[in-house]
Amino acid sequence: MITIKGLHKSFGELHVLQGIDYEIKEKEVICIIGPSGSGKSTFLRCINLLEDITSGEIIIEGVRVNDPKTDINEIRKEVGMVFQQFNLFPHMRVIDNITMAPIKIRKMGKQEANELARQLLEKVGLADKANAYPEQLSGGQKQRVAIARALAMRPKVMLFDEPTSALDPEMVKEVLDVMKQLALEGMTMVVVTHELGFAKEVGDRVAFMDNGLLVEEGTPDELFNQPKNERTKAFFSKILV
Amino acid sequence: MDILDFRFDAIWNYRELFIRGLWITLGLTVVGYAGGLILGLFVGLGKLSKRKWVYYPAKYYVDFFRGTPLLVQLLLIHTALIPSIFGHSLGFFVSGAVALMLNSAAYNAEIIRAGINSIEKGQMEAARSLGMPHKTAMRLIILPQALRRMIPPFGNELIALMKDSSLVSMIAGGELLYAGKVVAGATLRPWEPYLTVAVLYLVLTFIFGKLISYVEKRFSNSYVPSPRKQRLSFGRTQAGG
Repeated sequence: MITIKGLHKSFGELHVLQGIDYEIKEKEVICIIGPSGSGKSTFLRCINLLEDITSGEIIIEGVRVNDPKTDINEIRKEVGMVFQQFNLFPHMRVIDNITMAPIKIRKMGKQEANELARQLLEKVGLADKANAYPEQLSGGQKQRVAIARALAMRPKVMLFDEPTSALDPEMVKEVLDVMKQLALEGMTMVVVTHELGFAKEVGDRVAFMDNGLLVEEGTPDELFNQPKNERTKAFFSKILV
Repeated sequence: MDILDFRFDAIWNYRELFIRGLWITLGLTVVGYAGGLILGLFVGLGKLSKRKWVYYPAKYYVDFFRGTPLLVQLLLIHTALIPSIFGHSLGFFVSGAVALMLNSAAYNAEIIRAGINSIEKGQMEAARSLGMPHKTAMRLIILPQALRRMIPPFGNELIALMKDSSLVSMIAGGELLYAGKVVAGATLRPWEPYLTVAVLYLVLTFIFGKLISYVEKRFSNSYVPSPRKQRLSFGRTQAGG
């Protein structure tokens, strides 16, 4: 579904991604782990071109994303994204946060969009918050609304950029539960995360990144229990007590 | 000394002149301000553009109108620009309003640019990740938030512009200060007319100040409408995380 070939990304002198090849199949849940500054988030943000690609290519469902002829907005309609800092639109009610893109971008009728938004809010357990403003929500609630907002475009893939890193510990679970549910429903997901428990439990495959390279990847069992690469081993030895 | 011998009855005979001046000052302020806001929005957006042929004209516009005295601009417009376009003067009101508009647009452009820049990058990213084109995201997501932050500086700009409109008296503008000059010349009493003018300006600034603080309160930091309602809704989960 998503093919990444020889992906390089530099910010000026800083060579953040140093040649990544990867293949993501439909309905797979890929978890990307690794130390801070390893390029995980940048990698994710390259997939929907929030970051320009320095070289290489990304192909989503046969369309070359970084082709100048490709209308990136068409791609982004199919690729949902959830951010670490939620990035809800503070000037809109929860329901309008969710319906805005379907109405304005997909040209969905207002009624239909409202119906969809209520279903999604139900799904993330926030049916009673439709008329609240983002500032009235807790962090976990905000992130669940953000997930609903992305889902409202009915994307084929969902990208999660450290979705629980900005949350108080007691709110992490409610967000992970929603993501788990989503995975069970067969959503294709790419998740950059520090939640190794989630990666273990929900991930079909886990990829370990370090220093701008995809060092090692495999099933959670392979990666967590019998890592082959020295750097992977070193990473786990530091964080798993 | 004249000051010990105020004779405001001398002013009373000229009240019509002052009242007319008051209206003209108000008219210049309103027209100049409204035009300055609209034009300023375009110039401000121009200064944010990555396209050089948009950015540079906007930049030079701001440099010129902030870098030269308003009085010089006013004389240029009244005695040179308008006559050479239309073949004759269009009267002090047109010249004055145009000069105030062009001048305040330059200041407004900077307010608008700073306001837009102050919105977190994540807002634009979230909008773009939903497939929204840049322009739509600007209109629906960024500007509504940025405009709120621009309200206090726009308020200052209104008062500054109102006082600057007194410069139009230099082209026999008929506004408040000009009325004062005429009366001072006719009665040969400088104290009473100019003090009257000062007090009338103070009254105007007072009224505008009230208006501005009303608008500021109305669009305060919170997006949640009506604080009274908020206090009445018990048991709302407060934001955390």
